Amino acid sequence: MALSFESLFLISLAAGLVGALTGMGGGVILVPALTFLGVDIKHAIAASMVSVIATSSGAAAAYVRDHITNLKIGMFLEMFTICGALVGAVITLSSEQRLLQLVFGLVLLFSSATLFVQRFRGRHTTTQDGFSRWLELEGSYYDQAAQRTIVYKGTRAYLGGPLMFGAGLIAGLLGIGAGALKVLVLDLVMGLPSKVSTTTSNLIIGVTALAGASVYLAAGLVDPGQVAPVILGVVAGAFLGTRLLVRLRNRAVRSLFTVVLFALGIEMVVRTVF
Amino acid sequence: MIHLAAVDEKTTTHASMESVVGYILLGGVLLSVALIVGGLAWHWVTTGQLWFEYPVGGMDLARFIFSDLQQLAVDPIRPRYLVNLGIAVLILTPYVRIMASVLYFAFVARNWKYALFTALVLGALTYSLFGR
Repeated sequence: MALSFESLFLISLAAGLVGALTGMGGGVILVPALTFLGVDIKHAIAASMVSVIATSSGAAAAYVRDHITNLKIGMFLEMFTICGALVGAVITLSSEQRLLQLVFGLVLLFSSATLFVQRFRGRHTTTQDGFSRWLELEGSYYDQAAQRTIVYKGTRAYLGGPLMFGAGLIAGLLGIGAGALKVLVLDLVMGLPSKVSTTTSNLIIGVTALAGASVYLAAGLVDPGQVAPVILGVVAGAFLGTRLLVRLRNRAVRSLFTVVLFALGIEMVVRTVF
Repeated sequence: MIHLAAVDEKTTTHASMESVVGYILLGGVLLSVALIVGGLAWHWVTTGQLWFEYPVGGMDLARFIFSDLQQLAVDPIRPRYLVNLGIAVLILTPYVRIMASVLYFAFVARNWKYALFTALVLGALTYSLFGR
C-alpha cells in the first residue's frame, strides 16, 4: 500500500519529534507506524535507516562541537557496530516479514525496560583495565549544569566492543538507531558519564545506519519517492523536538515514552502471533 | 613547561578536529535537506503534486549517483535528480566524516592505532557503498 506524501511526512514528523524528546531516535516509532498503515516492513526499515543518518548527524554535529562526544571511543566502537549492522541488514533481506515484526516487537519491549534501567545510571568509573588504557579511552568535558570539568576513564572495552556488535546488528536488522542499547553499553559496561554516553552513541548511530542503508540501497529497498518525505519529516520533527525539550520535564517525557514503547511492542507481538 | 605546551597544543588540535567533524555533519544534513526540498518544490510547481514514484533497482551508491549523471548528459535536469542527489549527499555525510577522521589521526595526531581503526571502518564502508 502506498501512503500519500502528506501522510508519510506527518508520521515521520511525529516520529522525529518523539524520538528527539526522548533521545531514542525516530526509528522505533516510525517503523511500527508505517507497518501499521500497511507499508511493507522491509521498505519501512530501509526508509527509517536512511532517516536515522539525518537525525543522528544533525544531533551529533552539535554535541561534537560542544566537546562532549568522545571521538576515540566512538571510532573504536564503530568497528563493531558497522559489522553488526551489515550482518543485521543481510539477515533482514532473507527474513520473513512476520519474524521481523516479532523481533521488532520484542526489541520495543526490551527498550522500554532499558528506560527504567537508565534511571539508575550515573556511576562513572575512575579506574581502567590495561586494554582500555592502551586504547586511550579517557577524556574530560565541561559540565555546564555542575559548573565544573568532569574527568572520566572508559573501562571494559573488551566487553563493550562485542556488545556493540550486537547493538549494531539490532540497528541494521530493524532500521533503528538502537541508541538505548548503545547508551546502556557505554553507561553500564564501559562506565562513562551519561552525557558522554548519549552524545558518543549519537555519533556512532550515523555510521551504523550508513552501513545498514548501503545494504538496503543495494537490495533496491530505498525508494526515493518514499524516503524523501520520511527524511524531511524526521528532520523537521527532530528540530521541533529539541526546541520543545527545554520546556518539558524530562521525567514526564521519559515515562510517557516508556508506556508508548511498551504499547507498540505489545501491538507488534500480538499482530504477529494472532 | 615544554610538556605543558605540548599538551595544550594537542588539546587545541583535538578541539579543532571536533569542530571539523561537527561542520561536516551539519553541512551534509543541511545540503541534503536543501536539495530534497528544492527537488520536491520544483516537482510540485511543474506537476501540482508532491508525490512522485520512480523506484530504483538494487544498486550501489556509485551507480545511484552516476546513473543520474549519465541521464543528465542526454536529458534536461529534472526534479528527481535533485531528490536523488539529496539522498546521496545524506548517505555520504558520515562517510566523509570517517575520511576526515582517517586523515586527522594519520597526519595531524599521528596516532597509528586510531588511524588503523578509522581506516578499517572506511574500508568496510567503501566496500559496502561502492563495491557491490
